Amino acid sequence: MENRINSTWLKELFSKSGDVLVRPIKINQNNISVHLFCVDGLINQALFDEAVFRSLKFDPYLAHCSTERQMMDYLQEGGAYHVFTIEEDDYELLIKYVLSGMVALIFDAEEKAIVYDIRMFEKRSIQEPTEENVMKGSKESFIEVMRMNTALIRRRIRSEYLVVETHSVGRLSKTDIALIYISNIADASIVNKIRETINKIDIDNLSTPAFIEEFLIENKHSIFPQIMYTQRPDRVAANLSDGRIALVVDGIPFAYILPCQLPMLMQSPDDYANHFLIGSSLRIIRYLSMIVTLFLPAFYIAATTFQSQMLPVQLALSTQAAKQNVPFSSAFEVLGLLIAFEILIEAGLRLPKAVGTAMSILGGLVVGQSAVSANLISPAVVVIVALAGISGFIMPNQDLSSGVRLMRFFLAILASLAGFFGLVIGIIVLITHLCSLNNYGTAYLSPFVDVEERNIKDTLFRFPIKYFKTRPEDIVHLNRTKQGNGNEKQG
Amino acid sequence: MKNKDRLRKYERICTNMKKLVLILFAFLLSGCSHDMNRREIDEINFVHVMGIDYSNGEYTLTAIYSSSQGADPEGGGGDEESSQGRGASPFEAFQDLRLKNKKSLSIANTGCFIIGDSAAKKGIDTCVDFLSRDETVKMEALLFICKDVKASDFINDSMDRGQVVHEDLEAVEQKQKELVTRNDNTLVNILNDIENEMTSLLIPYLIAEENAFLLKGYAVFDKLILVDYLDMNTSSGVNFLKNIIRAYPIYLDDGIGLSVTYSKSKLRSNIENNQIEVEIHLDFETMVKEINSSENIFDFKTLEELTEKQNDYILDIVRKATNYSIETGRDILQLSRLIQNQHSKGWEKYEEDWNSRVSEVQYSFLVNSKVSKSFILRSGR
Repeated sequence: MENRINSTWLKELFSKSGDVLVRPIKINQNNISVHLFCVDGLINQALFDEAVFRSLKFDPYLAHCSTERQMMDYLQEGGAYHVFTIEEDDYELLIKYVLSGMVALIFDAEEKAIVYDIRMFEKRSIQEPTEENVMKGSKESFIEVMRMNTALIRRRIRSEYLVVETHSVGRLSKTDIALIYISNIADASIVNKIRETINKIDIDNLSTPAFIEEFLIENKHSIFPQIMYTQRPDRVAANLSDGRIALVVDGIPFAYILPCQLPMLMQSPDDYANHFLIGSSLRIIRYLSMIVTLFLPAFYIAATTFQSQMLPVQLALSTQAAKQNVPFSSAFEVLGLLIAFEILIEAGLRLPKAVGTAMSILGGLVVGQSAVSANLISPAVVVIVALAGISGFIMPNQDLSSGVRLMRFFLAILASLAGFFGLVIGIIVLITHLCSLNNYGTAYLSPFVDVEERNIKDTLFRFPIKYFKTRPEDIVHLNRTKQGNGNEKQG
Repeated sequence: MKNKDRLRKYERICTNMKKLVLILFAFLLSGCSHDMNRREIDEINFVHVMGIDYSNGEYTLTAIYSSSQGADPEGGGGDEESSQGRGASPFEAFQDLRLKNKKSLSIANTGCFIIGDSAAKKGIDTCVDFLSRDETVKMEALLFICKDVKASDFINDSMDRGQVVHEDLEAVEQKQKELVTRNDNTLVNILNDIENEMTSLLIPYLIAEENAFLLKGYAVFDKLILVDYLDMNTSSGVNFLKNIIRAYPIYLDDGIGLSVTYSKSKLRSNIENNQIEVEIHLDFETMVKEINSSENIFDFKTLEELTEKQNDYILDIVRKATNYSIETGRDILQLSRLIQNQHSKGWEKYEEDWNSRVSEVQYSFLVNSKVSKSFILRSGR
């Protein structure tokens, strides 16, 4: 394989690709010609014409250059009106630059190229976040272009300590990943570990976000999300200033935040946009909803199949009366309806919006009502599953919501096997699993598992901002002061 | 290197432990699912009320539960059905009842046990022993005695009259809660009281009147056998001394109606020359509820007179309770506990012949009260 920078070789290499251009440009009277090497559609043609091509054609100095070396030196010293210029003699890098949208001028005699970064491609404009929208607060969200996303973060943290390291991942895709952290706050060992993990990724193509997530998380078998994603640059900025590390991947319209703990996934930007009491109330509702969605179906199965004495008299009687003519067991009813609920969600996602709404009405209301009327399911089960289902969607993080939804099946099966005994075993397994999760040196359940009182001020309750004096202890070991002198007692 | 090896070894042990725990859980669950009292809720008859009777040498248990046919999914109540079981002991009768029933019977949600006059006279401990050993029974379930009738007759007659027995009994419980601060006739309290043989056990008795159940007072048990029924005033006197009065109406002769809103009693015992003296200190407050006269009762003098009258009224009620105790020698005021607590050293002397001592107890009374004005101030008509 030829690894020299040569226009003939490049022409042959890309002869079958219509979008890759390798074209000669004759630029002076000494018959020296250079070759333009670029990808059609990825470059800003107007800028190229104005800043580079015009100089090549009409600059009198270039017209009289006798060697390619003279021309290259002149072009780099301001002959072409573009600042983002590099001279490249590495064949591999040159290919990478050009395929990522840069323009190269190939000098065959020198076996070198001058590369201009004048990329321009179609991209989405910055819009409101679809998942994390708030009434009060920024309306900006990330888009698919990495550099634009890093700029949005940089605009919020104007510190010289904000580091944006760029890495390239994917043997074929060569996807750009920006590793972002604040160097005087973030724990260097965590940064190194994440950097190592990124560098170790050896895959052809990072086609979906899940690919990179799987490489980054430490406990791959857990269904609970161990990496937080957000569409909001302000949220990334807040986490960076807490000492966490962000990853922005080209082509993915959100940023990842590491290390991630469960309480982070239960936080919403709304908590901080409102009064702390309102924020705390919303958060408590979210935690309650998580308990409801996890345990309610299992509790119903256990209470109606094994330990009916646990139900208050009136509730037991009304449940009994509702189930009187239903031919199926409670476990079958609940599990069946939970599966039907998941099917409805999946169908709603796949179908076009207009049809999806009709599907929801047909599936949820008509079929549900008919099933109750036909005594196929009891009304109580409909209420239980609906309540559990709705509660599941209150969680701000959809990955957590999916994990919890899967977990409730597991608990419901345990409850249908052994009632409350099974449910308790499930809870023990769940808590043990959550406690065992380690995320880049921090406990997944931190700060719930910490004994330090100062660490729990932004968990179940959102304390007033004046109490957030220090950064999380388990993530940041140096430079922990966030406000004032960091003395908690003065708060 | 050594540390790394150790860490790897530790991780390997942890992984193996996890697998082991999972396998154990799986075994445990599969074992448990065989027999974990798995029963669908619609295959159970929840007994709301259970009557216990004794006649002709056998116990009869009458269970009331919601009719499966008439169950109302929205209300949850529905029609009631009853069935009976018989046996030489209450437990045997309960097994008979279970066998006769189409569905499985559960007393986990039974809110009320009614003990017939004859069964109570046979002995309360026998009636409740099988209940105390059932792991599902609700310990807050209430116990009532039905005066002079069998529980089965009491229940069946009520059902014939169209009463929904468990709902009417819930109404009794509500009325009881309106008058006293706590229900002492719960299963757990009675099981505790049975342990103390020195005191007389008191359980409220019911009578059926005009399609309703009424609480008339306490049934008195001596050595766990029903011996007497207290009238309403004597029972109220006991409640005053037990410090559980929440509200109590006072009707004075001159057309004034009052209601006790606060009451506190303190019993202090003294033993001098082998003589037990009990000093009863009773404080209470009332509120004027009705004035059927044209007099202005809110002047100082009239209020003082009113206070004296209400003191006498309540004192009379309390005296009825103490007099009953003196006359019968039954410790309905739980004086044995009082003496045990206040004179723990000397108690042993009285323990043996406590019943004869109860009749010799001398009581002294100190009653203080206050009349509060009603919210809308108005002197009489």
